[in-house]
Amino acid sequence: MNVIELNQLTKRYGQSRGIEDITFSVKEGEIFGFIGPNGAGKSTTLRTLLSIIYPTSGSASIFGKDVVKYGPEIKKHIGYLPSEVFYYDKMKVKDLLHYSASFYKKDCKKRIRELAERMDLDLNKRIDDLSYGNRKKVGIVQGLLHEPKLIILDEPTGGLDPLMQQTFFELLKEENQKGATILFSSHILSEVQKMCDRVAIIKEGKLITVEKISTLQERNHKKIRIETKVPVDAGLFALDGVTKVESEEGNRISFLYSGDINLIMRRLAEVQLANLWVDEPDLEEIFLHYYEKEDVQGEHVPART
Amino acid sequence: MNMFLHELRENRRPMIIWTFSLVAVTVLFFSMYPSIEKDGDQFIKVLQNYPEGVLKALGVQINSITSLLGFYCYFFLYIMLCGAIQAMNLGTGILSKEVSGKTAEFILTKPVTRVRIMISKLFAVLAILVITNLVFVAVSYMMAKAVAVEDFDVRTFFLISAANLFVQLIFAALGFFVSALFTKIRSVLPVSLGTVFAFFIISMFGSAIGDEASRYFTPFKYVDMSYIMKHSAYEPLYLDMGAALIAVAVGAGCLLFVKKDIHTV
Repeated sequence: MNVIELNQLTKRYGQSRGIEDITFSVKEGEIFGFIGPNGAGKSTTLRTLLSIIYPTSGSASIFGKDVVKYGPEIKKHIGYLPSEVFYYDKMKVKDLLHYSASFYKKDCKKRIRELAERMDLDLNKRIDDLSYGNRKKVGIVQGLLHEPKLIILDEPTGGLDPLMQQTFFELLKEENQKGATILFSSHILSEVQKMCDRVAIIKEGKLITVEKISTLQERNHKKIRIETKVPVDAGLFALDGVTKVESEEGNRISFLYSGDINLIMRRLAEVQLANLWVDEPDLEEIFLHYYEKEDVQGEHVPART
Repeated sequence: MNMFLHELRENRRPMIIWTFSLVAVTVLFFSMYPSIEKDGDQFIKVLQNYPEGVLKALGVQINSITSLLGFYCYFFLYIMLCGAIQAMNLGTGILSKEVSGKTAEFILTKPVTRVRIMISKLFAVLAILVITNLVFVAVSYMMAKAVAVEDFDVRTFFLISAANLFVQLIFAALGFFVSALFTKIRSVLPVSLGTVFAFFIISMFGSAIGDEASRYFTPFKYVDMSYIMKHSAYEPLYLDMGAALIAVAVGAGCLLFVKKDIHTV
């Protein structure tokens, strides 16, 4: 069953770009990533789903109900964490969370305590005394306290330290195991890779692709840079799956590689290396890959092994 | 109910400050009354030196100013001015501070309709204004009783006092409408002060030149103190107009806000 369905969802802001013709769906129990660079339309999409803003055309439904028509009903079962967390500054954390809980017909006291303990959040502080990271924690507790069936997170990890991020991801995994569907947006690929089953990639307001993470990883490009002791011919690396070869004075070579990592390692071993860097490509480079695919229409198909 | 209580709590502090201000003004003026009453003739003589236009603009009725109710009417203009600012601040802020404080995302992702949100907020505005006025009227009445030399008509006294709430409700409704129309108001004070003073000046100017038509354009003139003094009643026409204005402003504000995209980022 699909928990979220977007059907040619379009949102324009006057002349400026919003999102255009977005169609995808998220299945029940899935952890679904929504990635794209800043300004791609991730937040616009999520905010449309929550009917904070209304679509220009197209439609979206959650739990099989139209998001505009049945907004309040749907929202009973949604937990939302905005990218930037803002709350009533003068309230205490405790009061804010209880206020938030008062919208759901449930007793959330115990749950608030549990979540706060796990997130290491001081309930007695005032909101305006909190650091950015601690505000984010309030947001997380606020989004999860009513045990929602659907959790929507907009760039959830900003401001959290790595340890807290891990706790947070554990929390999400637990919720997921209990049956919650999770949709979260991010511009950090590794974060998405860790968590998600599938991802939608969006750029400049348009949906580029929806992929399984496993497929994405197979196609994953490594960015390899080498420095050699003596200049070598860049042609040496003309393997299947090597793209964007750049050579600087013959002894600084960089390229993108996707394919069996052993093949490229063997080839690299033939060269007298002075230094070697293997990096995960950033999102831009992944997009590049998708753009290339669109442009060349199948001529350049990355190697799959 | 939770949103209503939340709004009361959020607005508690300004409510206390405004109530205190209104009470301070009424206490101050009433405590001047005994000396004015005592030297009434001299006071009137001084006033007679003023140009008639100025007296009218300031709402001074020479023949009644030395009576307790007449004096109350005179300084009630300033009570209404303060009250209008409070009400307009409140009415404008109640929506726009959610947007400018970026808390709109919180409230709009809760399982409540926007209409529910607005109704809760409007009732909170009403409650705050009623509480303010109850305190103000109670203190005014006690002060009036304390300084009165002879009996005064209690009904007229309360009609004058309640005029503040009436004018406040109009300004609160206007503020609400403005904030629904321009959701991106960053700072409430310039908007509310600007509007209130514009209407106040229209009202003073209208009184000074004695222009009847100008009464339609300023809520301050929907209650005419000399009419209340004379008839111990409000003018039905202006009462209806005020009520209509409130209904239209609130209704239009709700319609606007329900349809609106809320941008907090």
